[in-house]
Amino acid sequence: MNSFLTRYSSTSPEADIRKAKELFDEDGDVSDVMWGSASGFGNLASGVPMFKLPSVPDPTSFLRMHTDDHADPSCRIKIKHGTTTLAFRFQGGVIVAVDSRATAGSYVASGTVKKVIEINPYLLGTMAGGAADCQYWETYLGIQCRLHELRNRERISVAAASKYLSNLVYSYKGMGLSMGTMICGWDKTVRIPEMNRDCTEAIRANCRLQGPAIFYVDSDGSRLKGDLFSVGSGSTFAYGVLDQGYRWDLTDAEAQELGRRSIYAAGHRDAFSGNTVNLYHVKQDGWQFIGNYDVSKLHYEGPGDVPGAPGTGYGYDLRVAGRTSSDAPQSEGQA
Amino acid sequence: MDHFPTNWGRPRNDAADPYGTYPIHQRPATKDTFAEGVQRTQQPIVTGTSVLAIQYKDGIMMAADNLASYGSLARFKDIQRLHKVGTSTVIGASGDMSDFQAIQTLLDEVVTDEFTHGDGHDLGPAEVHEYLSRVMYSRRSKINPLWNSILVGGFRDGKRFLAYVDLLGTTYSAPSIATGYGAYIAIPLLRAAVDGRVDELTEENARALLHDCMRVLFYRDARSLDKYQIATVNASGVHISDQIHLDTSWSFAEGIRGYGAQTQ
Amino acid sequence: MPDGSFAHPQQRQFNPYTDNGGTILAIAGADFTVIAGDTRQSEGYSIQTRYAPKVFRLTDRAVLAVNGFAADGNMFVKKVKQRLEWYRHAHAKDMPLHAIARLIQTMLYAQRFFPYYVYNILGGIEEDGSGAVYSFDPVGSYEREACRAAGAAQSLVQPFLDNQIYFKNQKAAAGQSHPAHLPLSDVLAIVIDSFTSATERHIEVGDGLEIYVVVAKGRSPQGLETMRNVQELSTRPDGDRMFILRRELKKD
Repeated sequence: MNSFLTRYSSTSPEADIRKAKELFDEDGDVSDVMWGSASGFGNLASGVPMFKLPSVPDPTSFLRMHTDDHADPSCRIKIKHGTTTLAFRFQGGVIVAVDSRATAGSYVASGTVKKVIEINPYLLGTMAGGAADCQYWETYLGIQCRLHELRNRERISVAAASKYLSNLVYSYKGMGLSMGTMICGWDKTVRIPEMNRDCTEAIRANCRLQGPAIFYVDSDGSRLKGDLFSVGSGSTFAYGVLDQGYRWDLTDAEAQELGRRSIYAAGHRDAFSGNTVNLYHVKQDGWQFIGNYDVSKLHYEGPGDVPGAPGTGYGYDLRVAGRTSSDAPQSEGQA
Repeated sequence: MDHFPTNWGRPRNDAADPYGTYPIHQRPATKDTFAEGVQRTQQPIVTGTSVLAIQYKDGIMMAADNLASYGSLARFKDIQRLHKVGTSTVIGASGDMSDFQAIQTLLDEVVTDEFTHGDGHDLGPAEVHEYLSRVMYSRRSKINPLWNSILVGGFRDGKRFLAYVDLLGTTYSAPSIATGYGAYIAIPLLRAAVDGRVDELTEENARALLHDCMRVLFYRDARSLDKYQIATVNASGVHISDQIHLDTSWSFAEGIRGYGAQTQ
Repeated sequence: MPDGSFAHPQQRQFNPYTDNGGTILAIAGADFTVIAGDTRQSEGYSIQTRYAPKVFRLTDRAVLAVNGFAADGNMFVKKVKQRLEWYRHAHAKDMPLHAIARLIQTMLYAQRFFPYYVYNILGGIEEDGSGAVYSFDPVGSYEREACRAAGAAQSLVQPFLDNQIYFKNQKAAAGQSHPAHLPLSDVLAIVIDSFTSATERHIEVGDGLEIYVVVAKGRSPQGLETMRNVQELSTRPDGDRMFILRRELKKD
């Protein structure tokens, strides 16, 4: 009787709360889990989070109108963008190299961005596109990967992790997410002697999924397996260096130098890339952070005393070699 | 994937504008047939102009004229734009008058509910302002705004209160506030007289100051009226005055070419 | 119309955003953090009020500065405070700074398709006692930094901080190196200079300055207590100490 009364009364505290909710209800996101130990992050662990959409006829063009600094530089909400990233597979594992510049319109919003997101000790994600999109969804992916481990008592494969992400962003296709990411890692390896000599083609295929792996995933929904990728506005510059120096049987030192040199090239020639290079190496026992290198320093002095370093600057020494155009060396053909 | 960073983060709308070449205001609008089914206040219709308010020695004082315009037509000339809420608060609204009436209804209901609880509590100006700002902000977040700029004034427990809230949910408080044209025309006069002198300003000073500002506004604001009311909130409660008439002199206009009636 | 101005019927769409100007700034020291903001709130060329705080105390060791659209900012702070209170009820302690940063990310990203037009800077003391600054974009990408300026005058102030805090484009004197962290007095001088200069050159900055200083537990406030217009906000004398320092800025 009491509950019946409170439910329909217009003056009880419950009625006040009900009215307030009707009036102020922007809060679809407040659920009981926010009280618990997850303290608000509970909503991340239980399924895909829900997002509020503006109640306009076309939410997509609403978002575009207010956040699109390309067509309208005076738009107010400037979202940070990340820029040159690369990853390649070789005999010694996976090299991941990225720059550290974030731009909002033409403003260099930050020169110290971490564009390699450490999903777990065996998985790395790179960040190109919307900084928040990459950070948020790769963190979300990390949660899902950990849950996979707990449920299945083994590490998630790079293929499965990347598919998780790809399916997720595909469900938001056309809404304005922007990510171009590479999911890099080392899949659990089964030692060859354990395998049957005359194994089936299916087992052989599975075998190929072991060891280092790279998947390219973007917000259009593409998911590509490959040996070598570069993503971002500086990717063309990075590819130029990368392609001419790449071989499967690169040594660890050579591979690290190639990654560093490629991002330097992009940082040097692309206005939206630069500041510093972050270098990672993924091996069987997980990823390892190799180092952070200032692009200007790479240009003039080189990376310093690290494996594979040329001992000179990447750009300056090469270009001037102690001379300028005013005292250019006489070539043999000229008098 | 488009690799150029300034193209990123843009929702795809390839059918309408594949290369994003149009400035935003010229973009072809996407047509949504169902959108027509819902009507919202997208622009104000019957409107009130400026509201002025100041803090003074004993409380706060607020003024608004009695006109509700329909575009450039002076449609209703006997409208009260000041409204008493509870025992120690007054609100004044510019903008859409139908939305203001909805707000009055809403607030009256809240005051009644609060009264029926009989717990000895009632709403003071700070509470009314907080409530209003939450309503206004949540309506703007639904893209269905209440098209008003509202001043909330009051006096409770020996403290003056004066604050602003508008259709976007923007809030602020200051010793003197004005909405509409008042923010351009009256604010300089009000700030010169009030800022830093709130505790010296007597009720007579405050009344005279608002009277002067209403007159200046009537001279220049084409949507204003020479008939207004003043609300006073102080220790003795809320008092909304009778209609006050502005005496104006237009003889100066004769000497200004292009201002008064032209003789040649 | 012959000039074609009515050729495309324009739909007047309600714009739920506005810009209320102002600037915020935070600098982390070794064992302290300074978070500051001016107090002017404006819309277009009108000054709405000369005192509208943009910097808010969240916990004993965390301070949040918000800038952009004031209504969004105030509402966002309200919601963050609510979530922190819930955390206190559930765990009987304050949420640590790095966790508040992650909370703010998820709260901002929840509005990914109808963003808060707010630039956030979170400052305070980390659990290891170090000063920390976290800066956010409107949809929640964040990063821990040593210093950050945001808002109307960010493009005036940030290059100055790059030079004075990170010593960018500066060469250390022969045989010397740049200090990793500056003392509090130097940082305060840089903050006040940043705002007086931004006030000179940006119309949306001015009126008043509120500087929050959080000093790690057991560390010296380095003479801050004796400065003029300083108020201590610490709740416990043996915990981290928090101060607010107020200064006037030009009002024209």
